[in-house]
Amino acid sequence: MPKVTINGQTYEAEKGKTIIQVADEVGVQIPRYCYHPDIGIEGSCRMCLVEVKGAPKLVPSCATPIADNMEVRTNTERVHQAVRYAMEFLLLHHPIDCPVCDQSGECWLQDYYMAHAGHDSRYPLGQKTRRKKAFNLGPLVKLDQERCILCTRCVRFTRNVTKTNEIQVFSRGHNAEIGIFEDRPLNNAYSANVVDVCPVGALTSADFRFKVRVWFLKGTPSVCAGCSTGCNNRVDHSARAQGGGIPGYTATDGKIYRTVGRRNVDVNKSWLCDEGRLSFHTLDRWPRLRHALKAGEQKPVDDLLPSIHERFESIRKQYGDNAVAALGSANNTNEALFLLKQYFGGHADFRLSNEVDLYQQRQDDLLRRLDKHANTHGALDLGLNGELGGLRGLRERAAKKEIRAMWIAFHPQLVGEDAPEIIDELRKLISALEFSVVSTTHDFEWARAASVLLPMASWAEEKGTYTNYAGRVQITSRAVMPPEDAQPLHLMMAELLQLSGRNVPRDPSAIFDAIAAQVPRYAGLNYDNIGVLGVMPVEAPQEVLR
Amino acid sequence: MTPVKGGYAVDVPTINVSERARRENATVWSTFRAFAVTLRHLFKSLFKGDTPTIYYPEQTRPYSERFRGTHILTVRGDGSLKCVACYMCATICPAECIYIEAGEHPNPEVEKFPERFDIDMMRCIYCGFCVDACPEEAIIMSREHHQSVYNRSETIYTIEKLMARPGIDAKGPGYRPNRPMAEAKIFNKEEQKECAFPSVIEERHPAVLYESMIRRRG
Repeated sequence: MPKVTINGQTYEAEKGKTIIQVADEVGVQIPRYCYHPDIGIEGSCRMCLVEVKGAPKLVPSCATPIADNMEVRTNTERVHQAVRYAMEFLLLHHPIDCPVCDQSGECWLQDYYMAHAGHDSRYPLGQKTRRKKAFNLGPLVKLDQERCILCTRCVRFTRNVTKTNEIQVFSRGHNAEIGIFEDRPLNNAYSANVVDVCPVGALTSADFRFKVRVWFLKGTPSVCAGCSTGCNNRVDHSARAQGGGIPGYTATDGKIYRTVGRRNVDVNKSWLCDEGRLSFHTLDRWPRLRHALKAGEQKPVDDLLPSIHERFESIRKQYGDNAVAALGSANNTNEALFLLKQYFGGHADFRLSNEVDLYQQRQDDLLRRLDKHANTHGALDLGLNGELGGLRGLRERAAKKEIRAMWIAFHPQLVGEDAPEIIDELRKLISALEFSVVSTTHDFEWARAASVLLPMASWAEEKGTYTNYAGRVQITSRAVMPPEDAQPLHLMMAELLQLSGRNVPRDPSAIFDAIAAQVPRYAGLNYDNIGVLGVMPVEAPQEVLR
Repeated sequence: MTPVKGGYAVDVPTINVSERARRENATVWSTFRAFAVTLRHLFKSLFKGDTPTIYYPEQTRPYSERFRGTHILTVRGDGSLKCVACYMCATICPAECIYIEAGEHPNPEVEKFPERFDIDMMRCIYCGFCVDACPEEAIIMSREHHQSVYNRSETIYTIEKLMARPGIDAKGPGYRPNRPMAEAKIFNKEEQKECAFPSVIEERHPAVLYESMIRRRG
């Protein structure tokens, strides 16, 4: 392994890596615009220039492979001067419209200007080149050519990652600008990633634009629940109350404003699909269920759970244990499904249709998968696919009066529509049951027929683990609070287990410790070693992203 | 250090309370002295007109040039709001009384404008930080401080109320720190002639004022 010295400190590095990659690994900060670890090397911005001993000129660290006994310095006066002048050129025609720019607060031009430049522009503002502002590249992306620094990250994203080539550099020299062909809008399934990779305010998200300033947001690392891929993301939500006592504005109860990709090389690199990125809007698509309803009357959840338990017990006594069952959801966390299975003594299933066969199948060759549920693999690991035969089997048993009471947990798909036949089956199932408890996130019309309707926390409102298509266990976090009376399913199940005399922990991490003790596949895992990037429990063949 | 009289480490004067009380005891003479003071001021105000009181509200006392009263949202030449909804005022506001909702302006040069701009006047502490933070001189303070209303909801001032209140111009504006700078830097004749895009100057493109602030700092 070659030895590289960066700023006087010697490191061993893998052969073939470039200087900036080694610096990133060891934690030396090198400014950059055009280099992005997942879209390849361009070397156009000249921000990452470093001094290498023996080289006559400064070298771009993103494009220079390391060599043995290389001596790199990133903090000399020569490097500072070079970066300063690079910044001056990049900002020469910058419109300085930070007050209206959506990127300000997370803009790399602002950051590096404060850190490395701090100069006055030599170009009078009125004479700066004016270009097109705020025009649509596609349904999700807006381009401002004045703010663009031509790092070509977006161009290389569409060239190397999606291979659709919608964005190009047009013209040459000082006329060069980013754009699209007239008849080809940027509408591929991953288009909004160009907003994430854009280091400046040139590309902004049409969905997020002007909704809120980024410094009001708090980022919570989480996992997308849109499909079984389990892409790592960061949920940006309101962090502090604003606006005082102005009526109609309640930021304190939390609102999700956007999700952005979180880098995890083993799962999604830095990308999210557009559907998954916008899937948080699904939570507002129908009215949320805010209170527990029994025969149309609002009741506190804590008062209802003992009566639900008594009813289940009496049916068990009268008709035998098999008469009570549960239908979980493949969007519930492992913790909730584990407690669900414990309470119902194994008479639990989670399959709505044939999605179990789909969960590893790709929808395209980048990220998306056909199974639009986050935790199918986890439910299978926990052994929820028993002899009950999924939703259809349960409905048939209920029709034959083998099953008389059920708990049904239902999450709507965050991406796409729930199949109408599933809703139809659920409707039939509820009408065939003597006693039915439905815990759902939204106030669905079909669920109103249930004996008891309980509000349940949805994705981003509960902490827990999801197991993705490949079996990787990842933590999804609570970013916002559930509406009013809604509770995570694992809390309701823990309450029921307590009523039946079994003491279980309520903290998700403690429940996961119990899972690790009982399920051989998760042996040795806990929240600490899963961490923010998740962990693969056993060696399993994993499809590699290109 | 040796303790002195009374046990204190420092020299504390001792007051003989009973002696002083005897000296200040009210007598007939001191009563007449007090009447004399009252009468002196009575005649002074009767004949010389030297009264310490004013006929409020017909008369008001002079306030400072930088008086911070109820806010005004300023407008461009065409009557549209100067505000670009950058949220600087809402960010700096220590009372968190400003609520803004931004919208997409049809003109890409303006790009962003406030669809809603509310100030909760009951919460506002009139510190003037919003005026300092504004890069557009879109919010300034007036000299108005009468805010009697019939119900609480009227104390939340919306765009319409902040933009134009009858009689607000009569007293002139209050705290407005960026005004001289903006005139000197941006609205001088020479710079306007050089500018290739006069509309930028007239329309007051957000960047124009922002640039002036950068120069000041540098």
